[in-house]
Amino acid sequence: MSDKKSSFKKSRIYVVLFALVTALVFSVLITSAATMLKERQLENMALDKKTNLLEAAGLVPEDKKPTPEDIKQIYDAHIREVHVDPRGRIVETPAGNSLQLYLIHTDQKVQGYIVPISTRGLWGKIHGYLAFEQDGETVAGFSVYSHSETPGLGGEIESNWFQENFEGKKILNASNQLVSVGIAKGKVENLPEKLQDHYVDGISGATLTGRYLSEGLEETLTKYESVSVIFRQKKGSQTNLETILDE
Amino acid sequence: MHTDLSHYKEILIKGVWRENPVAYQVLGICSALAVTVKMSTALVMSIALTLVAAFSGLIISSLRHWIPSNIRIIVELTVIASLVIVTDQILKAFLYDISKQLSIFVGLIITNCIILGRAEAFAMANNPADSFVDGIANGLGYSMILVAVAFLRELLGSGQFFGFSVIPQFLYDMGFQDMGIMVLAPGAFFIIGLLVWLKNSLPGVSHEKK
Repeated sequence: MSDKKSSFKKSRIYVVLFALVTALVFSVLITSAATMLKERQLENMALDKKTNLLEAAGLVPEDKKPTPEDIKQIYDAHIREVHVDPRGRIVETPAGNSLQLYLIHTDQKVQGYIVPISTRGLWGKIHGYLAFEQDGETVAGFSVYSHSETPGLGGEIESNWFQENFEGKKILNASNQLVSVGIAKGKVENLPEKLQDHYVDGISGATLTGRYLSEGLEETLTKYESVSVIFRQKKGSQTNLETILDE
Repeated sequence: MHTDLSHYKEILIKGVWRENPVAYQVLGICSALAVTVKMSTALVMSIALTLVAAFSGLIISSLRHWIPSNIRIIVELTVIASLVIVTDQILKAFLYDISKQLSIFVGLIITNCIILGRAEAFAMANNPADSFVDGIANGLGYSMILVAVAFLRELLGSGQFFGFSVIPQFLYDMGFQDMGIMVLAPGAFFIIGLLVWLKNSLPGVSHEKK
């Protein structure tokens, strides 16, 4: 009996059977883990996205860590997702060429807007948000919700010190040309004074991440320029939520 | 005897200290370079790796009499990869922020030579309980080096400990500067090299005298 068993264990059939059973057992294990945890993961991702939108807009309370309910409540009260056509006018149904953006509002008055950023990084896509004041040129905040940069190096783009640098930067130069915001190599204070408003401190050891992010920001801002122009023209006068981006 | 406590203690000491995976076997160097810029990532990586090492040892050792030897590496990798994917899924569901920071490195535990090395060298030849302890021991040995390297790199490179600044401002005012190289991979090479040298020059642990 044991002889028969051991000769079976040496046969090719046994090897194939063993491989099949192993593959089956472990794929069931992985699939069930992924399926059971999926809902929680999606919830985390949705919440993370909202948190990042609020962070970009500077609406997250600083003193304590907000609960998921806080985030949902602040989001519903202050953020509205809209789609606009290439001229910057709100469209009801998103079409192929329409752009997505978020309006920041308080009591039906528009305070600014948030542009989604999606650019290549060193290892993969970087996704984040860039928020603007209602003047259409001052950056209110920046946040990143998904990236695959090296932790500790390029991964620093999600740290507070890096993101806080963006606050108050201008995307227009003295002659009102779009210059975007760039990531400097090293410290901003070493740059010529007239450039300091358009650059943030770089991350040491992550030159490429910075370069790709700068390129991505410029590309995105060029695409959203029509929206920014409307905000600049209506500076301070027309801030009603329903009509800001209408004719 | 094989079941008494001193036997497990022996396996533990061997894995953590005498045959430390990083300092003696020189395994797992790649991730020791990558995740040791900050303490928080190094710590979570250590915990994840220790768990995967322990449970892959347990499972592979339980199966060792049935695994056909000509496909054993594939089977070992299947077990390891499955455990790593499940760990990654659990982190994403319950520790979302940290899983975002570790990003690809949790997935890269699969390729960490320590895990496959222990599966091949220990779990295939020993009983499940011993293999489990051996996994823990090697995981702890790896964690010890990782945390030590991360501590030095975070302190010297960013002046921080777990993200809190610990270098007093007056030192910066007097001209102290963070060492930029500590944030980069070469910094980790230097520190790991120095740690290995330090460990091997302690009395009684030199390899040459063995």
